[in-house]
Amino acid sequence: MVLSLARTFHIPVEHTTLANGLRVVASPDRSAPFVTVGVYYQIGFRLEPPGRSGFAHLFEHMMFQGSENAGKMEHIRLVNSSGGLLNGTTNYDITNYFESVPSNALERVLWLEADRMRALKVDEENLRNQRDVVKEEVRVNVLNQPYGGFPWLDLPPVAFRNWPNAHNFYGDFADLDAATLADVQQFFRTYYAPNNAVLLMLGDLEPAEAFAFARRYFEDIPAQPLVPRADVTESAQTEERRGEVPEKLGPLPAIAVGYTMPKRGTADWYAAAILDRVLHGGRAGRVYRKLVLEEQIAVDVDGNAELLDTNGPTQMVTRIFHKPEFTSEGTVAVFDEVIEELQRKGTTQDELADVKMKFRSDYYSMLEGGSMPRFGLMHYLACFTLFDADPNRINTILDGFLGVTADQIQSAARNYLVSRNRAVLVRRPVNLGRVP
Amino acid sequence: MTSLGAPATSFRRRAMPPDLAPERPLAWPQRTAITLANGLEVVLAESRAFPKISAQLYFRSGNAVVAHSAPGLAEMTASVVRTGTLSRSNRQIEEDLRRMGAGLGSSSGADSSAISASGLAEFSSPILELIADLARNASFPESEFERERRQRFEELKIDRTTPGFLASERLRRVLFGEHPYAILAPTEAQVAAFRREQLVEFYREHYVPAGSLLLVVGDFSTDHMIDQVKIVFGSWTASKPPLPMSPAPPHPSGRRVYLVGMPGTVQTDVVVGNLGITRRDPDWYRLTLANSIYGGAFYSRLVLNIREQKGYTYSPGSSVSALRQHGYFTVHAAVRNDVVAATVNEIFYEMDRMRSLRVTPDELDSARNYLTGVFSLGVATQHGLLGQLSTVYLDQLPEDYLETFRQRIRALTADDVMAAARRYFDSANAQIVVVGDPAEIADQAALFGPLTQYDAAGNIVA
Repeated sequence: MVLSLARTFHIPVEHTTLANGLRVVASPDRSAPFVTVGVYYQIGFRLEPPGRSGFAHLFEHMMFQGSENAGKMEHIRLVNSSGGLLNGTTNYDITNYFESVPSNALERVLWLEADRMRALKVDEENLRNQRDVVKEEVRVNVLNQPYGGFPWLDLPPVAFRNWPNAHNFYGDFADLDAATLADVQQFFRTYYAPNNAVLLMLGDLEPAEAFAFARRYFEDIPAQPLVPRADVTESAQTEERRGEVPEKLGPLPAIAVGYTMPKRGTADWYAAAILDRVLHGGRAGRVYRKLVLEEQIAVDVDGNAELLDTNGPTQMVTRIFHKPEFTSEGTVAVFDEVIEELQRKGTTQDELADVKMKFRSDYYSMLEGGSMPRFGLMHYLACFTLFDADPNRINTILDGFLGVTADQIQSAARNYLVSRNRAVLVRRPVNLGRVP
Repeated sequence: MTSLGAPATSFRRRAMPPDLAPERPLAWPQRTAITLANGLEVVLAESRAFPKISAQLYFRSGNAVVAHSAPGLAEMTASVVRTGTLSRSNRQIEEDLRRMGAGLGSSSGADSSAISASGLAEFSSPILELIADLARNASFPESEFERERRQRFEELKIDRTTPGFLASERLRRVLFGEHPYAILAPTEAQVAAFRREQLVEFYREHYVPAGSLLLVVGDFSTDHMIDQVKIVFGSWTASKPPLPMSPAPPHPSGRRVYLVGMPGTVQTDVVVGNLGITRRDPDWYRLTLANSIYGGAFYSRLVLNIREQKGYTYSPGSSVSALRQHGYFTVHAAVRNDVVAATVNEIFYEMDRMRSLRVTPDELDSARNYLTGVFSLGVATQHGLLGQLSTVYLDQLPEDYLETFRQRIRALTADDVMAAARRYFDSANAQIVVVGDPAEIADQAALFGPLTQYDAAGNIVA
């Protein structure tokens, strides 16, 4: 019943590869006169060069500072003045640039993306300026916010041993200061090649015309020899890893528990995605129910595993903000009871069916997007293309998740939710109990 | 790999961006608005690209109506509403939601309280039934109330360590004085004083169908949905509560500076504000356009100046906020501590420039296109459509607001922008809030007017 319903919903996908190796994916949807365009490069903060923490993200800012025929602010002006929104983000394994615009701006947006894939035109002043901007970004998001960077910056250095997975992704200020214009151009040549990217065009378009635009603007951008991808493998973990970080602003202790997840695309990986939702699916999830509703130890709990958009060691992370009268050790012990119960008894059939229903619904919501229409559709199509070489997974991946059995979940819980596969990070308030 | 057979250079190395193609017509989905016999206004719109529905039930009473008796009571009520009904426990509610692939929200702002849910379209009827059950039969279990109250108490402690919250809270106090909009959040003591009976009373008085608004968008046929809504909500009756009159907010004359101290912080939140207008004001369109050119878009003067030229800040911006009775204009930037005065100076420079000089034709054209394009993006998702419908129907704007917004914006001129800037970017009487380390920023802040210092709890300290 569930499977047949899921199959009735179908996203049209057409794809091709240009002569220079650029992969191009189009998904038409004529229901509203908008298009969302994305360019995803297969370089993220996990893959940035050793010793250059934060460079992938700093570089992302430089992509808005001017290209061959579109000077500083021109990219932004041309998208905004076409009636659209734009942004870029740096992730573990990818960096993306995207625009949602009225569909009459499709060609213009493609011209812009091609212009900056072809040649970056930036100077020392641009670099100085964006270094300052990035430092304020780090301050506003991390250093000057309660629980800033918790736990996405705190947990990896505790959980992992290999530099790509374990370093400061936003960047140490000394590393940011050390970045030169030559580094910027070198990084651009190395990673921002058409054969290291995918172009996505979604929405109100004719695929044939969109592909013709893609060829016109992108196909003569020269391919580059690709460097070997950074080795992101982790050596085998043999015991639980623990860390503690002072919380300088917030009054409550916060705990992050991370379990390293199975390899992308394996049967265990599908099971782990559903297991994650059994534990973390909102207020019906087992962890919230136990810690917030029943035991009332925690004020808030959530968690997730970023499985679909990562291509390397990834953790399922639980975040717990607990009341100051409980100890962090005691809180983790109650969390452990939830895990042990799941390992011992598994899930019920009703629970599993409900979790899958919510999974399917959330998947549709992601695809549909919010302030950027079809954001999730773009994002997942890019990941399925770059990581799995199969954009059509957008229509089949649900089958894998919805086919997971109760036995597979219990088995994944027993194999992966174990102390030798986890890291525990505590944010300890320096002002515990002191109300300002 | 490289294609050597590429087209001629003059063609491929196109130095100018392509012109925009002809615009495709934009059609907002047809809305069906009916009022049930019990006074509930229902607005439906189909949005069928994804097999989901989203529904929001709005009551036109929020924290403002209790601001002087029990600040934050509406919000506390909303958070407990979802925790139990006469027939469902908290756990049952959460499991029912999950079974329908649904998520639920219940919250209160200044002017309204809302119960909203979004889930798979195949469960549209039980999703509406759950919303109705919460709206009519909430049981306010004592234990859930106590748990939610404690959670709220701890959240407030976190808020008091969050620079952005402290800045917003102080600015609302300063702009709205004795008006209920002055109060953004209760104190911890006020939360501790809430009693369950107060929540029940608020619920009985304000969670009523008369004068309330139900919005439903999604993958359904309107005729069928009308029938469903009538079945689920038709038998509900209760009368409409009176809405109290509020004192007028002050119109402060002269710049004043309010510093909320957070010793040791590495950045300063700067917020500058003036009272503004509501969406029903005829000036709303021109103010929106002026704001977009000033700091409301990425491509705007403020962002170009203090981010892209000077590198003071990451995400500066300005916004026009419309509450039901009043609105306000704010400019905000989180900046490094040594450029607080320089930032405030540029904020005022850009306000005064818009008051003194007409914007250029290019800026005008860009901003008009930006606003009309981004406004219309709402048509492409259920989330966006609900947002636009709630604007129209909660604020009781004209039925054709969505259809006419673009032409109204496109008709505006540089003179309109300057007129709005002169009237609403009132730099001489703007109020300035800075949140940061007093030792590093008090001298800079004091350059702009009489300075009052507060601690994070809101006490005056100097």
